[in-house]
Amino acid sequence: MTARERRSRRHGLLLLAPALTMLGLLTAYPGLYVLWLSLQHRVPVFGITEFIGFGHYVFLGQDPRFWSAARTTGLFTVVSVLVEVVLGVLLALALRAQRRGRGLGFSLLLLAWAMPAVVTAKLFEWLYHPSAGLINVLLAHRTLNWLGDPGLALPAVIMADVWRTMPFVVILAHARLLTIPTEIYEAAQVDGAGRLATLRHITLPLLSQIVLIAALFRTLDALRAFDIMYVLTGGGPANTTETLTIYAYRSLFQMLQLGFGSAIGVIVFGLVMAVAWMYLRLLWREGLAA
Amino acid sequence: MLVRIAQYPSVTSSPLALLLAATLILGGCAGESPDRGAITLVFKHARILGPVDPIPPLLREFEARHPGVRVKSESLPWTSDEQHQFYAINLEGASPGFDVMMLDVIWVPEFVRAGWLLDLSPFLDPTEMAAYFPSAAASATYAGRVWGLPWNMNAGMLYYRVDLLTRYRFRPPETWNELISQVKRIQAGERDPKLEGYLWQGKQYEGLVVNVLEAFWASGTDLLGADDRLFPDPDHAAEALAFLRGLIEAGISPRWVTAADEELSRRAFGDGHAIFLRNWPYALDLFEAPDSPVRGKVGIAPLPGRTRSAAAPGSTGGSHLGISRRSAHPAAAFALARFLTSAHAQREMSKAALYPTHEALYHDPDLIRHRPMLPRIHELMLAGRPRPVTPHYLVLSTTLQPEFSAVLVGIKSPRRAIDDGRRRLEHFLVSSR
Repeated sequence: MTARERRSRRHGLLLLAPALTMLGLLTAYPGLYVLWLSLQHRVPVFGITEFIGFGHYVFLGQDPRFWSAARTTGLFTVVSVLVEVVLGVLLALALRAQRRGRGLGFSLLLLAWAMPAVVTAKLFEWLYHPSAGLINVLLAHRTLNWLGDPGLALPAVIMADVWRTMPFVVILAHARLLTIPTEIYEAAQVDGAGRLATLRHITLPLLSQIVLIAALFRTLDALRAFDIMYVLTGGGPANTTETLTIYAYRSLFQMLQLGFGSAIGVIVFGLVMAVAWMYLRLLWREGLAA
Repeated sequence: MLVRIAQYPSVTSSPLALLLAATLILGGCAGESPDRGAITLVFKHARILGPVDPIPPLLREFEARHPGVRVKSESLPWTSDEQHQFYAINLEGASPGFDVMMLDVIWVPEFVRAGWLLDLSPFLDPTEMAAYFPSAAASATYAGRVWGLPWNMNAGMLYYRVDLLTRYRFRPPETWNELISQVKRIQAGERDPKLEGYLWQGKQYEGLVVNVLEAFWASGTDLLGADDRLFPDPDHAAEALAFLRGLIEAGISPRWVTAADEELSRRAFGDGHAIFLRNWPYALDLFEAPDSPVRGKVGIAPLPGRTRSAAAPGSTGGSHLGISRRSAHPAAAFALARFLTSAHAQREMSKAALYPTHEALYHDPDLIRHRPMLPRIHELMLAGRPRPVTPHYLVLSTTLQPEFSAVLVGIKSPRRAIDDGRRRLEHFLVSSR
């Protein structure tokens, strides 16, 4: 390394320092503090602070409410992300072929995406209304108890979430479709590939990387899902829509059990990191293969 | 400025907080307060919905009577849960951001234990609390001291359709069996598939706990016994839960009450789609609104009991005005709380369907002219019973909501829900006694 390179490197580090300091203060410090909190029995309202090591984690290990929330979080994440990705890619393909009304289609999709989750949830509360809701009216005036039936509440929440976030996948996939050179398709045509073969051997492989990225973002969001079920069902009935973040929220802000709630938060954090790491590995492999 | 920060030891206990404090000090030096000498009180309260908001004129009146005091009114989030979260974060963070604060009646013991409220007893005249409903005064009192002035009053009651009951020559039901047989007769006679029987609140939230408590009381038991024992009489509690589930199974209540809150049930009844409804008194004004389909057809009664002559108490609710222990102007803040809870101010507040805590106002001819049912509501409120008065109320409620909900949707037996709830509560409560 020449002196000039060293100087430039020092200079670079100096320029990075403010950003690193901010990240440290705003991310690392609170993160470590939550970890520390999760090792304590801490109820500040009653002046209780007591170090209990992994006590909360041991309790959570055999806590049916925790496992039910973990199951709900997993189910919600897998189903909603899967449906969003499949529907999103299909819609992107349909929109590409669409000559007229594409702008309108995108505007409508963006509207759903731009709406705050709380507004969406309120909207769906009315759509799911047992007797006056549009969804039951469309289903030939059935009186399905969408939000009050333990078997229907989670599907209802997932549908609302799919409606809200599927546009994100559509737009990313569409952007990628626009960058695929038309020469490739022409070449395929010359080689005699049909539409299905073109889709299978050209379009989908070229989409896979962006779809993985979309799925990564959506999965991380879904694992931390909170507002849509908080407003629609409050976690009920019988906790069938309570996710880990709702359980953490109730423990932290309603029961004011800071240590216990933090332990749930730490578990969600670990889960999100593990899933993100798996996705990144997949992406690296894709990146090398491409 | 430095001295003032040092008064709050918990602020300086962590490096991040120190950094924040430093920013505050630096920021504080930049601007001088515009008018010295004048006191500004911050009043935190939930906004009043509807066409009339009596609070701003009342605050201007207070300012006119107290030269040198200005009141800044700040609204709280919508729901009780979010308000609790707001207070917990700000008060635990020792924020001196507000003086007079609106409190849900169920929070008082918890906030007192946390040291967030100012003891109002030294400011009070000895007989001052006697003007309020005894249950409201009791819920503002903890450990023998008074921590809030009752501001508005609520109690659960039974709404019924006068026109339908008259058509079948029924009197308002006094027992649950009467209510059930009336629903069956009226539904059979009306042949309207949209007409539901009895609506109440069964969504997994605080309102569910209120409805279950009322069922417990009707069955002669409670959530907390005399010595703060949980579920002192599990047999009767299980019976009450089974009764609520039975209402749904028998079709007396529609299946969707398991997702109903106050507004969902209020709207269905208000649209004319139900015979009976359990709700708070606020709904009455909406039912009597000029464009309401049920205008002039709604009566109120106590919640039915298990046996005749033993009407069940409705749960009481409402809010108090308390004073933050961090308030820099406790005397002025108390004057404001006392003014806002005075009979004069509550008379104005009643225009927005907030029911007074002063018993005398329920027999005030002026008010009765606009609200002929006031004396009746007075009786119902007098008969009401508060939810368990304990600093752990929110732990109780949050833990039991899913258990009760599981009974209503039929995935847990009442007995198992009670056992599971008790086991969880013991884990959380034993460690914080």
